[in-house]
Amino acid sequence: MFWERLRHLLDETFLNFRRGGWGVVASIGAITVAFLVTGTFLLLTLNLGTVVAQWAEDFQVIAFLADAITPEQVTLLRKRLEGELAVREVTYVSREEALADFRRQIRGQESLLEGLKTNPLPASFQLRIQKEYQTPTALGQLAVSLRRMEGVEDVLYGQEWVDRLTSLVQVMKILGIVIGAVLGIASLFIVANTIRLAVYARAQEIEIMRLVGASRSYVQIPLILDGTLQGGLGAALALGMLYVLFRATLWQLGASAPLIFSGGELGRFLDVEYRMGMVGVGALLGAVGSLVAVRRFLRA
Amino acid sequence: MIQMFHVSKIYPKEVVALSDITLHVQKGEFVFLSGPSGAGKTTLLRLIFRDELPTSGQILVNGRNVVRLRESKLPALRRSIGVIFQDFKLLMDRTVYDNLNLVARVLGVPEAVSRRKIGRLLKEVGLLRKADETPYKLSGGEQQRVAIARALMSDPAILLADEPTGNLDQDLALDVMRLLVEVNIRGTTVVVATHNRRLVSEMGQRALILKQGRLMEEIH
Repeated sequence: MFWERLRHLLDETFLNFRRGGWGVVASIGAITVAFLVTGTFLLLTLNLGTVVAQWAEDFQVIAFLADAITPEQVTLLRKRLEGELAVREVTYVSREEALADFRRQIRGQESLLEGLKTNPLPASFQLRIQKEYQTPTALGQLAVSLRRMEGVEDVLYGQEWVDRLTSLVQVMKILGIVIGAVLGIASLFIVANTIRLAVYARAQEIEIMRLVGASRSYVQIPLILDGTLQGGLGAALALGMLYVLFRATLWQLGASAPLIFSGGELGRFLDVEYRMGMVGVGALLGAVGSLVAVRRFLRA
Repeated sequence: MIQMFHVSKIYPKEVVALSDITLHVQKGEFVFLSGPSGAGKTTLLRLIFRDELPTSGQILVNGRNVVRLRESKLPALRRSIGVIFQDFKLLMDRTVYDNLNLVARVLGVPEAVSRRKIGRLLKEVGLLRKADETPYKLSGGEQQRVAIARALMSDPAILLADEPTGNLDQDLALDVMRLLVEVNIRGTTVVVATHNRRLVSEMGQRALILKQGRLMEEIH
């Protein structure tokens, strides 16, 4: 009895699936597009978020020093910098160290430096900033006072960039949620419609089954499984395409990426939780869509 | 087996299909439900397997109160009643075998068991050789017999037939009636709705006459 039921369930589900034809293809396609777009946002937001968080974490103000600076001046300057309230940590990077760092960053393309006879990089103090001073105004003031110090030639700080990127990530998050919701609802309707067509195509068979004593669930469950399958498959397909796109993008970025992501992790694909979540949500969308369609039909 | 108490069925816009019907069909009986078209025969049958609910009155089928039956008990009621529909309700794109097997699948009968049963039923109605044909290729009389065989798939306690001889000539009609009588002899309660008075008198069974939704007379 149990095996008969199970066999019936699978038979019916795949029968619906096959008979659905282009409707099923369109339905899966719609879900794939919805999840591809939403997934792209998710992937970008997550990756950008990681980068920004890392930047913010080891955020530094760099004070470049004049080439003619003497060791005594360096020692004096260090003392003054360490006296600044905003500064948490001071690291001196000599010209030689700066060049070595740069070499490391462009590994594989050292030939770029071959023609150099002298070291073009200045020595610098890299300053880690106290959390409470990581605001545009505080950093601006710090930069002004640093520039006035003897031996300091230029000051570089990227707070503005960090701020901009942070708000960009925020905007993308919201945009992703909105677009995801809209597309999600749209694909819900598309699945509902596909299943409704499947139900109508088999209206007579369903009527006969009901008349000879099929329970409501006997008729419903295969159709709902069908929708679930469509939703899950659509999401899984989107995930596969997203991965290919992701790989291709990294490959495209290949040369310049190490500079952007120096030290940090080089782009991450969605974690297992996200992947399972996406397929799960797809399946759920399909299930709800078909439930709506089937319920409406059987009530009538 | 089937009892109705003051049953009325009124459709929207005050269309009265049945009014104040009280009747009793005994277990194992063979009863005709006769009357002109539009007298309410089909509605009365549909009330029995709860394809419709009455506007008022009570209906007992096999000890169950059909009017107050819960949705979850509906399959059990329907499985105990075989129905031969006026329009047959066969799936025209499936084979005769598949049409019968649909019932077996709903009932959860293993394929091996249902295969034997379908073979036996098709033999009884004389269509064993047409098992792999679609109803589309069968004559009206043959389609009728497929509908009968399907109604018997669940070994029902009650068999309802709506105009089973509708568009058959008298000889074929009598063949179909003999088939139904055989089913009755084996213990199934049979109710046959027909407008064919001649058939009713030839068969000599009890008959309930419906006119304009009212039960007029009983012929024994």
